[in-house]
Amino acid sequence: MAIKRTAPLGLVTAGVVALTLGAASLPVRADDTIKVGVLVPLSGNFAPNGQQTLTGIKMYFDEIGNAVAGHKIELIVEDTQGKPDVGVTKARKLVERDGAQVLTGIVSSGVALAVNDYSRENKVPLVLSGDAGADELTMPGPLVNPYLVRTSQNGRSVSAPAADWAYKQGWRKVTVIGSDYAGGVDTIHAFAQSFCQLGGQVIQEQWPPIGTSDFGPYLTNLDRKADGLVTFNPGADGLRLGQQFSEFGLKGKLTVLDIYGTIVYEPNLPQLGDATLGMYSSLFYSPMIKTPENERFVAEFRKRSDGQLPANEGPNGYVGAHAIADAVKAVNGDLKDTMKFIAALKAIKFPSPKGDISLDKYGQVIQSMYIREVEKVDGQLGNVPIATYANVDQFWPFTDTEFAAYKYTYKELKGSLTDCGKLLAKK
Amino acid sequence: MVWVIHVLNGVAIGMLLFLLAAGLSLIYGLMKILNLTHGSFYLVGGYIGLTVMQRTGSFVLALIVAAAAVALIGTVIERYFLRRFHLDELPQTLVTFGFLFIFADLSLWIWGGDPVMLRQPRIFAGSLSMGDYNYPFYRLFLIAVGLVIAGGLWWFQEHTRLGTMLRAGVDDAEIARALGINVSLLFTLVFAAGAALAALGGVLAAPVLSLYPGADFDALILAFVVVIVGGLGSLKGALVGALLVGLLDDFGKAFFPQFALFTVFVPMAFILVVRPTGLFGRR
Repeated sequence: MAIKRTAPLGLVTAGVVALTLGAASLPVRADDTIKVGVLVPLSGNFAPNGQQTLTGIKMYFDEIGNAVAGHKIELIVEDTQGKPDVGVTKARKLVERDGAQVLTGIVSSGVALAVNDYSRENKVPLVLSGDAGADELTMPGPLVNPYLVRTSQNGRSVSAPAADWAYKQGWRKVTVIGSDYAGGVDTIHAFAQSFCQLGGQVIQEQWPPIGTSDFGPYLTNLDRKADGLVTFNPGADGLRLGQQFSEFGLKGKLTVLDIYGTIVYEPNLPQLGDATLGMYSSLFYSPMIKTPENERFVAEFRKRSDGQLPANEGPNGYVGAHAIADAVKAVNGDLKDTMKFIAALKAIKFPSPKGDISLDKYGQVIQSMYIREVEKVDGQLGNVPIATYANVDQFWPFTDTEFAAYKYTYKELKGSLTDCGKLLAKK
Repeated sequence: MVWVIHVLNGVAIGMLLFLLAAGLSLIYGLMKILNLTHGSFYLVGGYIGLTVMQRTGSFVLALIVAAAAVALIGTVIERYFLRRFHLDELPQTLVTFGFLFIFADLSLWIWGGDPVMLRQPRIFAGSLSMGDYNYPFYRLFLIAVGLVIAGGLWWFQEHTRLGTMLRAGVDDAEIARALGINVSLLFTLVFAAGAALAALGGVLAAPVLSLYPGADFDALILAFVVVIVGGLGSLKGALVGALLVGLLDDFGKAFFPQFALFTVFVPMAFILVVRPTGLFGRR
């Protein structure tokens, strides 16, 4: 009975709503809603990264009232579990069932590579705003996808400025410890190549497998003649390496330059304590950046995550959302012409918590890189920016043609990091 | 000097592996249960220790509470779940496998996904200076603890009545039961003690190896390697296997870094070929 009675009432309501809307100057129809599909890992090992990325994405859309140019923005969130097969299934579900017009997020490079294929085949705009930093996604080559832009970062752009800074500190010989996987190899090799080009040299390379629990043997083996130790060990590895580095009494004997801040990752700092004081790192963000954009961002982020300081994921998600919103506005909410929307995405330009953001012609972000040092600020350990490299693109300090002229790719150089001749060989 | 440090380090890691593997080995030896939940005992023990340490600041209390709590969890699992499938290996293994996942998700829910480190007790902070090199005091402490526990377990097994009953049970549970030994109680005790040892391992390892989602699986795999090398059901085997794996891992990483991923697994495969029951295993 209840159903019979409410049905006509529902019809009447619908009619009234339609009339009211018809009278308004900006008609909002159901298909005027912009549906944004968010792919982040919310379970499994990458869950914290996914959660922070999502917090950033939601923060931006909430800030603009979840509407752009009269169009409502609707977020549909799916958990990739950090697995490529799940990622593709969820991407398909978001696009084909929920009608998502643009995909964003993605933490794991494996998921990014898989969804990249899906996006290319089905012409779905993909705004990578998570940690996924595989260089080849945005560099000329077999993976190039005209429907992809990346507003987060890529592997080598965080390394090259670190090499420049190290050389300027007078470092000439460094020893490296990098996680043994594609991302680690890319990141460390980008450092070595830039360092060689400046006149420095890597004198020792060590590659602990991902998930190494005991770094004792590697730390004992470290070449003490080096001017510094360069590291890249994401995840729990960074925490253990930092802990064991001080345990083995190496603090004060070797200066650490931590690419991406994998040891001095914000959640690690209180756990590692004062042992991290004076460690250097390079990254495109620090919660200690003193700009109005960032101070506002940090305050709001902490409100939403139990007082936790944002590491890099929150700002990345936030910037990706900002890019989507700006591009939607530029095409007036009409996402039917996909190439026009992509062109609008590539044209974005705005100040952000990370610094000034723009994209290159490949759709890869151009942003600031910061060299940071762990200091105590108001009794709390933090990564304080001590040097800034503005407008760093994915090929920095080279141009795309210069970069393409090198004979070997990073993948082919494993084990010959100490050989500057080979690192710098031209085709 | 470098050699001394590599040996010390291999032994220290070996001692952690021993705590982990001893319980696994004894449980299998006595009850024929391949206890996959052992990885959870390690991880949950570590996390409980972490919470106690954060609340009270006492490392000793962390060890005691973690061991007691996990022993209780072990008792419940043995009494109310595994007991139903006595000597039925496949269902038992599946039950322990299920618990492994349940505890993994519960830990993620309670303690979050960020890797965490237990703070080292202050008296063991710092390191022993050996010429150009340093060796952490805490790892020396690990070696000492491992030796004490290994000695204690050996004494218990050889010189106490319960130990004799345990050995009888491992040799032949049916005959032991016929002789009037309360095998049922023995099962629960050994399962709880094995769980407690794994929890101790978790708390002791946490200041060095950290706790993170997935540490349970990592620990489980290493514990299996140790018992396969040493032989299931033998304490001596667990000790020798653990030391061997610890040393191989260290020297492998240090001198053959390109093979770091399988310096532990190649010797295991080799031992399986030569001695399918492990170095000290029977049958």
